[in-house]
Amino acid sequence: MFGKRMLRAVAAAALAVSAVAAHAQWKPTRTVDVIVHTGPGGGSDLLARAMVTMIEKEKLVPVRMQVLNRPGGNGAVAAAALAERKDDPHTIGLITSVWIGTGLTSSEMTVTVRDLRPIAQLMLEPAVFAVRADSPFKTLKDFIEAARAKPGQLKQSGGSITSRDNIIRQTLQAHTGTRWAFVSFPGGGERLAALLGGHVDIMVIEPQEAGEHVRAGKLRVLAQIAEKPLPAYPGVPTLKEAGFDVTPTPQIRAVVAPPQMPAEAAQYWYGVFDKLRQTASWKKYLADNQLEDKFADGATLFKTVAQIEREMREQFTLAGTKVVR
Amino acid sequence: MKHFLRKGDFWSGLALAGFGAYVVATARHWTYMGEDGPGAGFFPMWYGAAMVVLSLLLVAGAVLKPGAGEARTLPWSDLRRALTCWVAFVACIALFKALGFMLAFASLTWFIIAVMYGQSHRKALLVAIGGALVFQMLFGWVLDIQLPAGPFAALLSR
Amino acid sequence: MDPIAGLMHGFAVALTPANLMMCVAGTFLGTVIGVLPGLGPAATIAMLLPLTMKLDPTGAMIMLAGIYYGAKYGGSTTSILLNVPGESASIVTCLDGYQMARKGRAGAALGMAAIASFIAGTVGVIALMLIAPPLAQLSLAFSAPEYFALMVLGLAMVVLLAGESLTKALLAMLIGLWIATIGTDLFSATSRFTFGQSALLGGIDFVIVAIGVFAVGEVMANMEPTTAPDVLPVPKGLRNLLPTWEDMRRCRFAFVNGSIVGFIIGVLPGAGGTISSFVSYGIEKAVSRHPEKFGTGVIEGVAAPEGANNADTAGALVPLLTLGIPGGSSTAILLAALVLWGFKPGPLFIQESPALFWGLVASMYIGNVVLLLMNIPLVPVFARLLKIPGYAMYPLVLGVSLVGVYSDGNSLFELGLLAGFGLLGYAMRKLGYPAAPLLLGLVLGDAMEKALRQSLMMSQGDVAILYRPIPAALLVVAAVLLAVPLFKKFNDVRVRMIDQEV
Repeated sequence: MFGKRMLRAVAAAALAVSAVAAHAQWKPTRTVDVIVHTGPGGGSDLLARAMVTMIEKEKLVPVRMQVLNRPGGNGAVAAAALAERKDDPHTIGLITSVWIGTGLTSSEMTVTVRDLRPIAQLMLEPAVFAVRADSPFKTLKDFIEAARAKPGQLKQSGGSITSRDNIIRQTLQAHTGTRWAFVSFPGGGERLAALLGGHVDIMVIEPQEAGEHVRAGKLRVLAQIAEKPLPAYPGVPTLKEAGFDVTPTPQIRAVVAPPQMPAEAAQYWYGVFDKLRQTASWKKYLADNQLEDKFADGATLFKTVAQIEREMREQFTLAGTKVVR
Repeated sequence: MKHFLRKGDFWSGLALAGFGAYVVATARHWTYMGEDGPGAGFFPMWYGAAMVVLSLLLVAGAVLKPGAGEARTLPWSDLRRALTCWVAFVACIALFKALGFMLAFASLTWFIIAVMYGQSHRKALLVAIGGALVFQMLFGWVLDIQLPAGPFAALLSR
Repeated sequence: MDPIAGLMHGFAVALTPANLMMCVAGTFLGTVIGVLPGLGPAATIAMLLPLTMKLDPTGAMIMLAGIYYGAKYGGSTTSILLNVPGESASIVTCLDGYQMARKGRAGAALGMAAIASFIAGTVGVIALMLIAPPLAQLSLAFSAPEYFALMVLGLAMVVLLAGESLTKALLAMLIGLWIATIGTDLFSATSRFTFGQSALLGGIDFVIVAIGVFAVGEVMANMEPTTAPDVLPVPKGLRNLLPTWEDMRRCRFAFVNGSIVGFIIGVLPGAGGTISSFVSYGIEKAVSRHPEKFGTGVIEGVAAPEGANNADTAGALVPLLTLGIPGGSSTAILLAALVLWGFKPGPLFIQESPALFWGLVASMYIGNVVLLLMNIPLVPVFARLLKIPGYAMYPLVLGVSLVGVYSDGNSLFELGLLAGFGLLGYAMRKLGYPAAPLLLGLVLGDAMEKALRQSLMMSQGDVAILYRPIPAALLVVAAVLLAVPLFKKFNDVRVRMIDQEV
């Protein structure tokens, strides 16, 4: 009765089952570390914590995830920490454009973003130029003209000299032939305090940080540094619309992993973020924080990183910053 | 005349003067004054120079002031015990990953109690093992700080 | 909403059973984790943030604020008992607190830390309630030049912490400045003194230096005698288990000092609890009738910095709640949490979310009381910890140091640094170099360099920017402070010369 045909069918079924089992989804089995390059309270740290909270809420991952802060060297320490974990599938990292910038300008950064395994591209972070509400500059053109009249007298507060704040400043300076000073402050709060207190004239700030102050009538937004206009700032021109045809430096946020993470694990993590970005809480987070959804897979991320590297290298060289890679 | 050679101030002063000189020499490679303000080399230059000046003052003071009244001589016998303890501490750290926290720390504890203080081995082992366990439980499990597990990795992974 | 009405409303919110429980839970957790060295308030808040996600926003905020407070209260315990700083703001407490423990007055020290924290914390909350918005506006006038002058003043305090040899104190401070320079320069992205080690690119956390120099160095020094002495006598009798009325009287000024200095420095964005604790300690020593006794176990030396670092917490909430500007990493996390729950911290916050603001303020009052009630009974318990025989105490201290440092960065390299600084601490002890100026240089040096360069960037190289009213005034005070011992030395030499002539 159980003739050859039956046997063959059973064998085929068994083969199919075992093949599926072999390709069975890898799942994490212990606490996962998310490495960020800022200390607790910094931009990447807060995003990572929000992300982890959402992932846990939506039950996308069966284990606990924790954020590991590895600040130092503008990303160098965090990149090295990721590389150290070689093929550990229970570690991922959150990168920003800062990592790419540091890779180009710092010879101490032994591990760059290109050495790490790209998992998924998440979003673009736009920014705006803001001045105090009582300042004489009503448009970005006003500011540039004033800078032209008094070279080096106007001041901008921002982060380190390889940060996006300074890159866009140097791009604009080169484009318009003007010059204004840049004052670095390590913390976002201090930068804003410097602007509000009248110690500097302008700053580049994230839209949601500025939101409340604009609403309270303390800040005025001059222009958006974004490819697409931001819904929350309908009357504010983008750089192009304001008359400055420069490429806004993209500030990306993406997920990477240790260099030799196994393919199944990488695939798993891509799946997690793919599911995450379709959830309502993620969409709400992006909308509340005025972030631009730019979700893509690891291969696209790799290309994006290469493109950003090219653009940054050009901008650094133009500005006279030493490029080591 | 050679009394100053025994003085701690003399040698530490010399060491710091040398160190200060090293700081200044290194700082010379960095920008002293950039177009936007002082560069990376500004501050180190100044405090390095201050270090050299002050430490030479110290050395001068050690040489010129007579007598052992202000001398701080270096009794090697006392130092030996302290340095032995330090070496044990360093060894514990070096063996952290290999032996895991519990074993490394227990060994250090035992070493201090039994060897340095000459207490009975039983007491030492008791405190060593007890202490290591308490630390592991309190920090490793309650607070979920991942202390290196060493050979107990299989046992401790949850 | 005027303060009294607001406060009544706030108490109505804060005293609901659910929120009360949140307050107690938060302060308790904060204290427990704060006691453990290595985890500062920011890391503690970050770690416990997920717990609060499941609660309603007001309750969660109350709990987070409780954690913030509690962590500051808890930091002094290991500082006093083991000479291991619980967090960076408690480093100064080690100076006199540990010495008091060695004299058998650990209980008094611990108790005074709690009481001073309570008084200063409460004053801070009152100030937050009454003068927050105008003070916040004033604080905006404070920027890099003002900070620079403040830091110079702080460093001038090294003169007060000097002890016997001013030269050695200054040298120790310079070493501290050097350690602060290690890492990546913010402004030029150059790496300094990193010896090619990528682990040093972020600089060296001053908690590692403090634990190494204080705790490990102390253990090594104690190893010298071949028998383990009863170095830490167990406090006997109520007199030593808690502060006496005499102690309270002595600390009258310290309470005021800690409250005001802590709160004001806390309001300034960027200046943290560490700076306020050093400055209030320095001021306390400067106005004391027996300054030379500081560092040997003077109770005001515990009351002032402990009060300061608690008032600082209230101060840090001022720019956060009135302007939406986070002053440091702890407040940055609180800001993010608020935003996550849909609140909008900014200039309109108090008007638009009065329930949260006043509920928070009220819960801070309650929190302070809860913390006092929680800590005082624990004082005799902790003090009895000293019953551990000497030979077991030292491994305990080493173990706490190891875990404290490791828990922060999971880095063997940092443990190696810890050992290195332990050796340095021991060497400094033997050679007569005071440790406090080194820590002072480390903490303030970094801030001072940044402030100076920011100031000169702002003025495009013109030093005249420092002649603005506030920096000028502070610099003058600093100059006076520095000139006084020189003057004294001159005077001594003059008197000696006169004596010799006669």
